[in-house]
Amino acid sequence: MDGSLLVAQLISGLTSAMTLFLVASGLTLIFGVVNVFNFAHGSFYLLGAYFAYQVVAVSGVNFWAGVLLAALGAGAAGMLMEYFFLRRIYGRAGEAGFQILLTYSFILIIDDVVKMIWGTDYKSISKPEILSGPFSFGEVTMPRYDLVVIVIGLAVAFGMWAAIKKTRFGRNLRAISSNREMASSLGVNVPLTLSLVFGLATALGGLSGALSAPVRTVTPGAGIEVIIGSLIVVVIGGLGNFWGALVGALVIGEVTAFGILFLPQWAILFSYAVMALVLIFRPEGLLMKRGAVG
Amino acid sequence: MRKQGRKWQAILVIGLVLVMGLAEVASAAEKIVIGALYPMTGRAGRYGIDSVSAAEIAMNEINAKGGVNGRMIDIIFNDSKANPAYSIKVAKRYITEDKVNFLMGVVSSAAGLAVTEVSKENKVIFVGTDHASTALTTEKFQPYYFRVSNNTYQSAAAAALYAKDKKEWKKYYVIGPDYEYGHRTWEDFWMLLGRQRKDVQLVGQAWPKLFEPDYTPYITAILNAKPDVLVTTFWGGDTVAFIKQALPYKLFDKMKFYNYDGGGNYELLEAMPKGLPKGLVLSARHHLNWPDTKQNRDFVANFKAKTGRYPSYAAEGAYAGVYFIAEGVRQAGTAEDPDKLVAAMENLKLKLPEDPEGFTSYMRPIDHQIVQVQAIGETVPNKKFPPATMMLGNWKVFKAEEIIPSVAEIEAARKAVKK
Repeated sequence: MDGSLLVAQLISGLTSAMTLFLVASGLTLIFGVVNVFNFAHGSFYLLGAYFAYQVVAVSGVNFWAGVLLAALGAGAAGMLMEYFFLRRIYGRAGEAGFQILLTYSFILIIDDVVKMIWGTDYKSISKPEILSGPFSFGEVTMPRYDLVVIVIGLAVAFGMWAAIKKTRFGRNLRAISSNREMASSLGVNVPLTLSLVFGLATALGGLSGALSAPVRTVTPGAGIEVIIGSLIVVVIGGLGNFWGALVGALVIGEVTAFGILFLPQWAILFSYAVMALVLIFRPEGLLMKRGAVG
Repeated sequence: MRKQGRKWQAILVIGLVLVMGLAEVASAAEKIVIGALYPMTGRAGRYGIDSVSAAEIAMNEINAKGGVNGRMIDIIFNDSKANPAYSIKVAKRYITEDKVNFLMGVVSSAAGLAVTEVSKENKVIFVGTDHASTALTTEKFQPYYFRVSNNTYQSAAAAALYAKDKKEWKKYYVIGPDYEYGHRTWEDFWMLLGRQRKDVQLVGQAWPKLFEPDYTPYITAILNAKPDVLVTTFWGGDTVAFIKQALPYKLFDKMKFYNYDGGGNYELLEAMPKGLPKGLVLSARHHLNWPDTKQNRDFVANFKAKTGRYPSYAAEGAYAGVYFIAEGVRQAGTAEDPDKLVAAMENLKLKLPEDPEGFTSYMRPIDHQIVQVQAIGETVPNKKFPPATMMLGNWKVFKAEEIIPSVAEIEAARKAVKK
């Protein structure tokens, strides 16, 4: 085993981590601000992948414009779901139970709608020609496309952080997150902000799906695998914590990648083992303050 | 951001479990009624939908010629999901409420194993058309079960014969989905190859979960092991995802890619009109372009005319199932007496679309497993079945009798279970 292999494995873990992060960050953002646990979040990943297929492969739009449109489309679908359905159950007694039922049922609904529109066969879109080959430095070879995915993931992480910390919209988010009524009485338009957050978060899920479409299977049901991975990520990182999603995704991506390298027969065990350890020793998640639990 | 409690973590874990559950489903007296069990949803949905269309084609062909012994065939369909418990429910309802004469179908082997128990209890004949686990015809065999498509042993045996002659294939690596089908398909092959080649070596194995979306870390590990051949037991979208992700690593230039049970399915060839490499060694239980007989061409053309698309391999199994039942009823002279039907069906011969010239599929009494020829091919450019741009070619054909377990082997397997 040589150094270049370790670097290659590190990078492939990083690529998985970024795809997971884009979905998990939206999941955690919705939870932190809107206080909803959106089990259907993986379905927006699915929608993003199909929108990208529709725009790029069927209508022939430029790849990057298509990815952007797909993310916007998924965000619009998310806002519709928030406006017409989730909004009706905010603050209701036993809200958590309704949330599970409602968002879970959307997994089934979106899967079936996708199947009705696009059928059950596997869809493909091509990467831009320039990114389809490998990239080499020294002994290390990796797909160029993966490199782009990593850069986009990091850019989104930084952009989100800046937006939350530095902008007026971010201030409103933080205000709503810590006290919704107080924010409302201070003149923040809470319903609008919640819809926008939901749209932004589902757009990130859609972006992840659109970016994955050229390298993964585009098929109804693909959202399920992604939501399972993202749930593990947010459990590890701490639910509602933005950096937690990044750390959780990196942990899962790299633990899986190196697990495969050293013990491939046991590879699927690792991410669950890490989750179990976190639940036992730090049930609030790695990045949540102790005592925040209660 | 908002601070929250353990309650949420608990809800999250419950939800996780919940979500993982998704990941993996004329009057009756005159008609011959077949209760079909096919999944219409989930990842196996394509196979179910194709099977239903093909079964309808067979039914219409038979009924257009006046049915069987003057009786028309009627098929009732219900989404059986790929789920054993749900399949049992549907099968029981078919028997008690719909009074079906036959059960047919089932894509998932787990569901097949469940339905065969219902068939045994109620003495209703169950014709398996797509699930491939060898267990149904060996250790879990019961007299009212028949299978009209190849099982995993047959594909693995053909694959071992193919690999035996490839002198340069010495170092093997296997990757497949981590469940019964993935492992069994590989183990049968490796055991049979080991009997004939002493110079082969397994340099690594990996078992990602079924429907794993991201194989990149596995691919780098495989490249590092430098095998001559990569055996994969993926099916459906998992094969597509793996190939897409392995392409930029030039994996296909560095080793042979071998998927001998499900890899040659048309849904894979169709999913990658661009970029599917040449020279992948693949097979499936039915091929659009092999054998080049009138019967196979007609089957494919009729399916295309009815549905607007080409069939995945499950379709031919369902088509065979309906003809098998019709022929069984014709020879037994009844659709109501299960024991007379078993006696007729056990020795049935049936000319099917997947039979090459000079061969007719036949049922074997010992295990009620249909005996068929198996062909393995390589991807070659071929644009006759769009959107696919590659089809299989350079065929190697394996005789039906060379790829079935011997009677002694079956009896030994059954004895081992009884102990």
